[in-house]
Amino acid sequence: MEYIVQTQNLSKSFGKEQAVSNLNLQIRKGEIYGFLGPNGAGKTTTIRMLLGLMKPSSGTIKVFEKNITKERIQILAKIGSLVENPSYYPHLTAYENLEALRKILGVPKTRIDEVLEIVRLKEAAHKKVKGFSLGMKQRLGIAAALLHSPELLILDEPTNGLDPSGIIEIRNLIKRLPEEYGMTIIISSHLLSEIDQMATQVGIVSKGKLIFQDSIEAMRRFAQPKVTFKVNNGEKGWRFLLANGIKADYQGGVIFLEECSDEKVAHIVQVLVQEGISVFRVEEEKRSLEDIFLQMTMGEQGI
Amino acid sequence: MMGKLLTADFLKIKRKGLWLLTLIGPLGVVALQMVNYGVRKDYLLQQSEDDWGYFLLNVHSFTPLAIVLGIAILTSFIASIENETNAWKQLIALPVSKLTVYLSKFTLLAILLFFASTLLMFFTLSYGLFLELGDTVPYMELAKYSYFPAFAALPILALQLWIASVSHNQGIPITVGIFGVIFAYSSYVLPDWMIWKWPSLMNQWNEPMINVLLGVGIGILLYIIGMIDFARRDVK
Repeated sequence: MEYIVQTQNLSKSFGKEQAVSNLNLQIRKGEIYGFLGPNGAGKTTTIRMLLGLMKPSSGTIKVFEKNITKERIQILAKIGSLVENPSYYPHLTAYENLEALRKILGVPKTRIDEVLEIVRLKEAAHKKVKGFSLGMKQRLGIAAALLHSPELLILDEPTNGLDPSGIIEIRNLIKRLPEEYGMTIIISSHLLSEIDQMATQVGIVSKGKLIFQDSIEAMRRFAQPKVTFKVNNGEKGWRFLLANGIKADYQGGVIFLEECSDEKVAHIVQVLVQEGISVFRVEEEKRSLEDIFLQMTMGEQGI
Repeated sequence: MMGKLLTADFLKIKRKGLWLLTLIGPLGVVALQMVNYGVRKDYLLQQSEDDWGYFLLNVHSFTPLAIVLGIAILTSFIASIENETNAWKQLIALPVSKLTVYLSKFTLLAILLFFASTLLMFFTLSYGLFLELGDTVPYMELAKYSYFPAFAALPILALQLWIASVSHNQGIPITVGIFGVIFAYSSYVLPDWMIWKWPSLMNQWNEPMINVLLGVGIGILLYIIGMIDFARRDVK
């Protein structure tokens, strides 16, 4: 399996504080990898290490199957990035800002118009960035990241501080990049709803540790509604169900099932009543992705 | 790579008034002599047989101050361009080596410094000719008083750039710069080993060339130390 980004036991500490510990990221080509975690979980530190801005305390990072500490420049030539707040030169126009980067990257001048077109900043191209709104600055940052047509795009909280329409605009932009340009994207956020609408893979960090890494579908599976049955004799009822070939779980006096169709619920109630068990309550318990995320990041252990 | 970075750096100082500052520095130094000679030209011409030499000495009495002050302002301006929105992280995440990034900033500053020296030479010559100080213009001496202080000031440039590019609080390089100006102002009483004395071209052997050689040597040394420290640090 070819991984675009692979880290092994990546750790970083600032003095005594362990910001990132033993992180094993695996990101495949063409994915939109949602890098999720509460504020201060170590997302930005990890991204800074992926870009070679910080040196890891221990562990290795391989990007495009090359070691970042040894071949940093060759790797960075294929990465576009936007780290935290957008960086720009306020006294220069949007066009000049990109020109300053273009000179270093050595791409043709026409690319500037192309990327300004992509992020819809063409009308403001010759205005000073000083007067831009936060959304425009953020879009300029994305334009700068796209300038050299990178194979890997790393965006750290790209929708931070944007208004709803700005968020939707950036989301749509990010979604179409892998399809149209074959890019792999890493996008970090502390909002699950953000990642949920874009990502194909999810990695969740909490207190510097990776506590979940799988496809977004796998994560959604956790969010499926559960049906709980409260009965007068839970354990007996649960055994009857198992004996009847119905897979159920029993915990804390209630029987619960995952993935339950209406017919199945009716059947279970029928079985229980026939066995002489009183059914008090049948409830559906919905869990949102947010609940799961909160549970994961607060409890610190996976589910 | 270095050339590309340097042209980008030149683009970044656009509209920041840095070119204006490089013009004002030497202009100010000569303007002080315009006042001096404007008010008491006859008295000043009596002071020495060698009118050109005496004029050059007068001009030179303010050159070190202007250079030290100018370097402090220019370096923190240039560092603040990257510091303002923390553009360092964007710059270092480009496929460039950190050493080249630092070299490019140093080169940009050195170019501005030597451009200012050239202007100083031009302004000094123009005003000297205007004063009609004599037919034989001492071109060698003129070049010496224009460029030697700049060479001797290279360690200050390297030190200020180092401090400005690694400190997030621009108050620190400014403070160091102010102390530098005070030191340069009192260079008569400073010991020879203080780098802030060197642009005055004074030393116990009365040989300006020593200051130039020391300036270039220690300048390169401080530059290398600063560059290594800059490359070693994590980008915040």
